[in-house]
Amino acid sequence: MTEAATIPAALDRYEVVIGLEVHAQLLTRSKMFCPCPADYTSAAPNENTCPVCLGLPGVLPTINQQAVEYTVRTAVALHCDIPAFTKFDRKNYFYPDLPKGYQISQYDLPLSVNGHLAFPVGGETVRCGITRVHLEEDTGTMHHAGDVLQSATSSLIDLNRSGVPLMEIVGEPDLRTPEAAREYLVRLRQILMYIGVNDGNLEKGSFRCDANISLRPHGVQELGVKVEVKNMNSFRAVQHALESEIERQTGVLDAGGTLVQETRGWVETQGRTISQRSKEQAHDYRYFPEPDLPPLRLDAAFVERMRAALPELPEARAHRFREQYGLTAYDAAVLTDTRDDADTYEAVVGSGVPAKLAANWQSGDVAALANEHRMPLQHSGLGVDGLASLLRLVDAGTINGPTAKELLAELYVAGGNPEALVRDRGLAQVSDTTELSALVDAAIAGNPAAAADFRAGKQQALGQLMRAVKDATGGKADMPLANRLLRERLSEQ
Amino acid sequence: MTLSRGDVDHVATLARLGLSDTEKDRLLGELEAILGHIARLQNVDTSTLAETAQVGDLVNVMRGDETVEPIGAAAALRNAPASDGSYFVVGAIQGTDLDA
Amino acid sequence: MTPRTITELAAALRDGSTTPQALLADALARVERTDKDLNAYLSVTRELAEQQADAAARTLGDHPDTASPLCGIPVALKDVLCVDGIETTAGSKILRGFKPPYTGTAVQRLFDAGAVCIGKTNCDEFAMGSSTENSAYGPVGNPWDIERVPGGSSGGSAATVAAGSVPYSLGTDTGGSIRQPAALCGVVGFKPTYGRVSRYGLIAFASSLDQIGPFTRTVEDAALVFAAIAGHDPCDSTSEPRAVEDPLASLGAGVAGMRLGIPREYLGDGTEPGVRASVEAAFRVLEAQGATLHEVSLPSTDVALSVYYVIAPAECSSNLARYDGVRFGNRVERASLTDMYLQTRGAGFGNEVKRRIMLGTYALSSGYYDAYYRQAQKVRTLVSQEFEAVFKEVDAIVCPTSPSVAFPMGSRDDPLSMYMCDVVTLPANLAGVPGISVPCGFVDGLPAGLQVIAPRFEDARVLRVAHAYEQATDFHTVLSPYAGKAA
Ligand SMILES: [Mg+2]
Ligand SMILES: [Zn+2]
Repeated sequence: MTEAATIPAALDRYEVVIGLEVHAQLLTRSKMFCPCPADYTSAAPNENTCPVCLGLPGVLPTINQQAVEYTVRTAVALHCDIPAFTKFDRKNYFYPDLPKGYQISQYDLPLSVNGHLAFPVGGETVRCGITRVHLEEDTGTMHHAGDVLQSATSSLIDLNRSGVPLMEIVGEPDLRTPEAAREYLVRLRQILMYIGVNDGNLEKGSFRCDANISLRPHGVQELGVKVEVKNMNSFRAVQHALESEIERQTGVLDAGGTLVQETRGWVETQGRTISQRSKEQAHDYRYFPEPDLPPLRLDAAFVERMRAALPELPEARAHRFREQYGLTAYDAAVLTDTRDDADTYEAVVGSGVPAKLAANWQSGDVAALANEHRMPLQHSGLGVDGLASLLRLVDAGTINGPTAKELLAELYVAGGNPEALVRDRGLAQVSDTTELSALVDAAIAGNPAAAADFRAGKQQALGQLMRAVKDATGGKADMPLANRLLRERLSEQ
Repeated sequence: MTLSRGDVDHVATLARLGLSDTEKDRLLGELEAILGHIARLQNVDTSTLAETAQVGDLVNVMRGDETVEPIGAAAALRNAPASDGSYFVVGAIQGTDLDA
Repeated sequence: MTPRTITELAAALRDGSTTPQALLADALARVERTDKDLNAYLSVTRELAEQQADAAARTLGDHPDTASPLCGIPVALKDVLCVDGIETTAGSKILRGFKPPYTGTAVQRLFDAGAVCIGKTNCDEFAMGSSTENSAYGPVGNPWDIERVPGGSSGGSAATVAAGSVPYSLGTDTGGSIRQPAALCGVVGFKPTYGRVSRYGLIAFASSLDQIGPFTRTVEDAALVFAAIAGHDPCDSTSEPRAVEDPLASLGAGVAGMRLGIPREYLGDGTEPGVRASVEAAFRVLEAQGATLHEVSLPSTDVALSVYYVIAPAECSSNLARYDGVRFGNRVERASLTDMYLQTRGAGFGNEVKRRIMLGTYALSSGYYDAYYRQAQKVRTLVSQEFEAVFKEVDAIVCPTSPSVAFPMGSRDDPLSMYMCDVVTLPANLAGVPGISVPCGFVDGLPAGLQVIAPRFEDARVLRVAHAYEQATDFHTVLSPYAGKAA
């Protein structure tokens, strides 16, 4: 990318100010204001709809309590204040994916305000304020013939997504680099997934992000002209779009031009943003209190219940993993990446597998297999319990490393009981000193040249002898023990 | 209360009401008269009054997160002016269609 | 056969002197004879009615003692009430042909009680009006004088009861749309406490003001219908969860010892002398029944009209955004989406609806919200507080329902003069309190109505006062020429 080279130069002259707005769908069973299934992907178009989410005449909304709880859960995880009084408002605008002609959202009294998210970027801690977390409903989806909005002759509307609970998380303009913006999103997504409120799918749009970005000369207090960037559906896209926007804005400012406040869309294929709407055309949403829904008064006890039900968050858990299990910061971060990973790790260690051994296997071979098969351990044939019993066999010295590796790969897909397999297939490693000593003697006798070379000081010659022992056990030899016995015998003279 | 023809145009666009010039001229006069009458609202001292968005003191009216069988696409589309398969259909959408 | 009340018909169904099918045939015949003149019906639902009459006959045959008093009795529904598979237009061109895929709660409760729905009644478009001249399907005639309006917006529902076609009907009241046409048509019209009857399935005009209620020929019938449709509905988050007090239990308790308030602002200069005389005579009747009358004051009555004409249009401008030609209703096809919206809505809505959408959009728009909408919400609080203060002094308010009797069609073409029709009914909607209109006399052969208003959830008290008055008078027994003609 050409941007990469120009960004540091731009940062010398201008301070970049970035604020992010995230829309995250909530993992409820039913929709926000009606009891239709919230699953909008697996049904045929418009199948999961009812008079309410179709916006038919005469219908009324009802509040999904789980969505409120998820939002408060999120808010407390992000250190927000939960005001005692909150309400829903109508945001009025016309678009074919918005059946009622208004979105039920929250305007001046959101469910939560004034939180923050702190995270490391390049060895430093960035603290980004969270203005508010509020609750609203998603729109339907539209498909444009040919999928190019501008040239389509007609558009198809599917309202299965209409009314899916949507949480809006508005960040303060506290971010100063595209990298920090990306990291903020990574961390936020991780928390939402940890607390079980969102599935974090940027590609499918269950976790969506808009960015506001402006530039100002260093030392200047006043904010520059703000541009809103949309249509970014990956972390990479967010970073690239912001880099591209910094380059564009720098170009305009350097040339003595002025920026216009506008909305721009990221076009992945062109690697640039294009203007969608200028400020003169800004909306007048005519917000007013939703008369069909009584307000909410969430008392302190309710908020405390939500707080108490929060799981340990990733940062705290990584910290504990370092302390409790003696892991490196890197291992701890990898093993707490998702809540499932961390739970797996603790289950395996809890079953008696040493912490370091479990960490090495889980972040090494298990992670590689999960990636290869695009299937997390929990859903694999092996499962968490299978991994634990396999690693206990390793720890006990019952099987050697290579055998364990092969078994892991096989069982990950096919499933099965590691202990039974080791027994039935006779995979237990040969670690009996007497038995191995006989094999060592045989190997020396069968490879006299190699034995002579080793004795003459050629260390590499030991490899041939080790292979001979290994082959004689069908790969099951306790190789560290075989190595010691070989060296002992060869040093006898 | 003075209302301009431009105000009428703007509000009609916001409300997506296609109005003829005659209608707009008439509405300008009618709305001015009504707004003139309504202006007496401004004489009320409301400094100590809370806003009433709805009467009654209901709060925290929520339902459990349970699903009910949806009505399905066929019923959803029964009144549709235009449809394609089980989609609703509208004509071409321009970038400006979101503006008002 | 003289038109009879629900109570009379329920008895007749049980003593075997009639059947649901016979009542249906009679009702349809009356509609046939009168509706060319009245235009009270937008559709007659014969097929649905026949099924319901047959089902009701079976219920009455099997369980005559436990069947609802409404079982087997014909009803007509204002065309803003959704019925599954039955055309529901709200009096608007934009919804011509629209058949909802569901039935609203209040209507479903009637159907569950065995009601026989004979048709959907004409009304002002989206319930916006006070004369039923704003229907896209033509005006409704007043059965007392076909050249005059029946009031509105539930004019069709009022007229059909006044014409004796059905013993009762449902209407909706946002600023007086049940009580005012009841007064102008000489029948009983009851607007329950806001939140007492579910609004689910009622095509919204102004959500914080709308309420469903019955038109009947007697207060007792109004109590019966109210008991059937009232109560909590999980589909309407603004519906009251508290149990409904049985209105029949206290209906006959009378007004002896009650303190009744007469708001001086409700008998202002705008009140026609004939109406004033009728209502003042009614006060004397109530005194004779043992009530004491007290002058009270609701100082914000005048400004309440302004509050109403900000809040109702604001809510309607949003509620009517869904009529965009996308999912239902009549679309004017255009190449671009924006043009489709503009033309669909421009062609689909009538003048009054457009006027209110414009007014409400303006009141909510950037720069005007605080001066109009927020200020109106605050003054609304004042209106409610004044009612609360008055109800500390008196048990109920008695006053005219409408400052005038039925006026000639086309005589109020200026919007503001039409809006004045609701000046004594809309404050009750702003405060969410229950109100009823009962016939209280005639002015040059045209009915006048007495309005009774009580505190929130004192629906039974409203009915009790109205019943006491009704039982002491016989205005409610006088039939309109059309009811007489139909007989
Ligand atoms: Mg939003
Ligand atoms: Zn739904």
